[in-house]
Amino acid sequence: MNKTWIVALETYLRQVKSWSFVMLVVSPFLLLAVSLGVGYFSGSSNTNSQRIAVISDQPQLRAAFIKDNQADVSRDVTTVAAAKKRVANDKLAGYLKLSADSRRVTGRYYSQNSISSSMETSVKGFLNKTQQTLNLQNAKLKTTQLKALSQQPVFKQHIHKTSGSSDIAKIASFWILVFVIYMVLLTYSSITAQEIASEKGTKIMEIIFSSTKASKYFIGKITGVMMVILTQILIYLVGGAAFYLGLNQIDTFRKLFDQYRYLIQPVIGNLLNVNLLYLFLGVIIYTIVSAFSGALVAKAEDAPKAAQPAIYLGMTAFFLTFPFQSNPTGLIVKVLSYIPFFSSYFMPLRVIYHQASPLEISLSLLILILTIGLLAWYISRIYEGLILQTDDSSFWKRLKRGLTYQN
Amino acid sequence: MLAINNVTKQFGTVKALNGVTFDVPDGQITGLIGQNGAGKSTTFHSILNFLNYEGEITWDGQPITENDFDNIGYLPEERSLMAKLTVEQQIVYLARLKNKPAKIIRPQIDEWMTKFAVKGQKTDKIKSLSKGNQQKVQLICTLIHQPKLIILDEPFSGLDPVNADLLKRAILEARRQGAAIIFSSHDMANVESICDRLVMLKTGNVVLNGALGEVRESFGRSELYVTTDWQEGQLAELSHVTNVTHLRDHRYLLHLDDPAAGRDIFDRLTGGHYIEEFSQQPPTLDEIFRLKAVTNHE
Repeated sequence: MNKTWIVALETYLRQVKSWSFVMLVVSPFLLLAVSLGVGYFSGSSNTNSQRIAVISDQPQLRAAFIKDNQADVSRDVTTVAAAKKRVANDKLAGYLKLSADSRRVTGRYYSQNSISSSMETSVKGFLNKTQQTLNLQNAKLKTTQLKALSQQPVFKQHIHKTSGSSDIAKIASFWILVFVIYMVLLTYSSITAQEIASEKGTKIMEIIFSSTKASKYFIGKITGVMMVILTQILIYLVGGAAFYLGLNQIDTFRKLFDQYRYLIQPVIGNLLNVNLLYLFLGVIIYTIVSAFSGALVAKAEDAPKAAQPAIYLGMTAFFLTFPFQSNPTGLIVKVLSYIPFFSSYFMPLRVIYHQASPLEISLSLLILILTIGLLAWYISRIYEGLILQTDDSSFWKRLKRGLTYQN
Repeated sequence: MLAINNVTKQFGTVKALNGVTFDVPDGQITGLIGQNGAGKSTTFHSILNFLNYEGEITWDGQPITENDFDNIGYLPEERSLMAKLTVEQQIVYLARLKNKPAKIIRPQIDEWMTKFAVKGQKTDKIKSLSKGNQQKVQLICTLIHQPKLIILDEPFSGLDPVNADLLKRAILEARRQGAAIIFSSHDMANVESICDRLVMLKTGNVVLNGALGEVRESFGRSELYVTTDWQEGQLAELSHVTNVTHLRDHRYLLHLDDPAAGRDIFDRLTGGHYIEEFSQQPPTLDEIFRLKAVTNHE
């Protein structure tokens, strides 16, 4: 097997087998599961105490109310005594006694608290409708009169959509994307820089460089990290899909998803397009810079500081996006969407708002890929010089020596 | 054969190597000695292409390239392995980087661990091993792919006499298999016990180079071991005796400024009678080292 692949595979296997990787991958799912679980259980425990019972001597009347308000009625309570007990135990919000004679429909609500406004609207609506039916029956009208009275006014909304749910989806997509890029970038920059910095402090690199060229080792290392990132993205995609489909089997969540489908679908669409490629390439370019800064530290103890240059650069790009979150057409956004290190944040912003043509996206991607290639090639050439320096000279001296290294 | 020809390496204003020239023949062990900072590690780093240098280093007549790396076994001065790997993973990983397939290396690991008396299992994490055992694992990593050129930077440092003997045995076995071996050491006894050739560096210059016996003989038989009833003061008054060291009981070491004076001293000490010990030898490597390190003795 090619030595670059041996290094890549070793880097990959060592990282994916580590607890830190497992935690990194599993924690978002755990967090999501815990928060959804808490929401579900607190929701279901609240449901009964928000429901009401409907008591009536007239089964048809009771059935008609329940038919219109299925989710809000506790059907198993049929007597006043049972309803009172439940209300006392805080298992019911209250109970509604319904009655009707030949002329009037009556509803009486009993509770320890006043009726909720939505329930009040429902009850009044039902009583009005039933009373209307009774009135019409008592008036003994002809069919044509009935038809004339049942005429309803027309009300239609004509909305020209320039904002609303579509904008919310875009803003949500933007924030989710920049936060995911930032978090993944932070994680891998830190892991890569620290790993390389800690290797530098040891003589294992001399043993490895007596076996393969430093450039091959560096490319292998970066390839291994790329494979780890890809694995993480794949797990998130597959796990996310499984999570979504699984939750869809639960009634409560299916309703929730249906309710917010107008938001969920465009957000998923905005994440699973070319933006995913920007996420991947963005993390790669920052990882390469982290590897470079990791190789510049003086000793292993400085490893925690090694990722700082890449992290600061990432933070700058991240915070720069804030003022432009709803201004994707600004000149600065357009310029930064072509500049590597920034394009991973700014081009997705333009893509989300449909403000970038395929040509512009291709050009930006080409610049990013070329920069990654050039950076990897250049750093791999000077990597041996950087990594074999173990003296305690100043950062700038080490940088200068590394940059001027030739072999 | 490894040939180092007129190699010069400068770090800023400091000349770490100055026209260094010597050979490391196949099937022989070459000891590289010198004080700290003499240029031993720089020489090794130059051989391994870690540094740019002026001059020429060849292996079997060709410049050393990446293709030759598979035939090189290198042990750096400070020990270091990947702490989170198991012994087996570490050995296999480094062997694979030498183009030795895992299926060939894996069955040999137990045998090598026994050979070096490593205390621990191959499934143990490197970090769980003692420092000495980690050092042995590193030696296994250096030798298991049966390199043709073995470079060992201070291999005996930190090893107790028993483990040093295990290492010597492994080095001698590699020599029997025809490897060219070069190692540095500050322990002259170890160098003297296994080396065929000797190179000494002083501030980047070669001050000694040749077969071990020839190097020692080149200093003349200036050391005289005698066991006699003579007193230390009487011995010191003998002509051409520059120094007398009382070793034990009646045994003394006499340093001569002229090896040819040995015969006259023999006549005077014995007077034609029996003497328990009279042995005239060249200086020990340790003495040669001290002599060359302090002066520019030619």
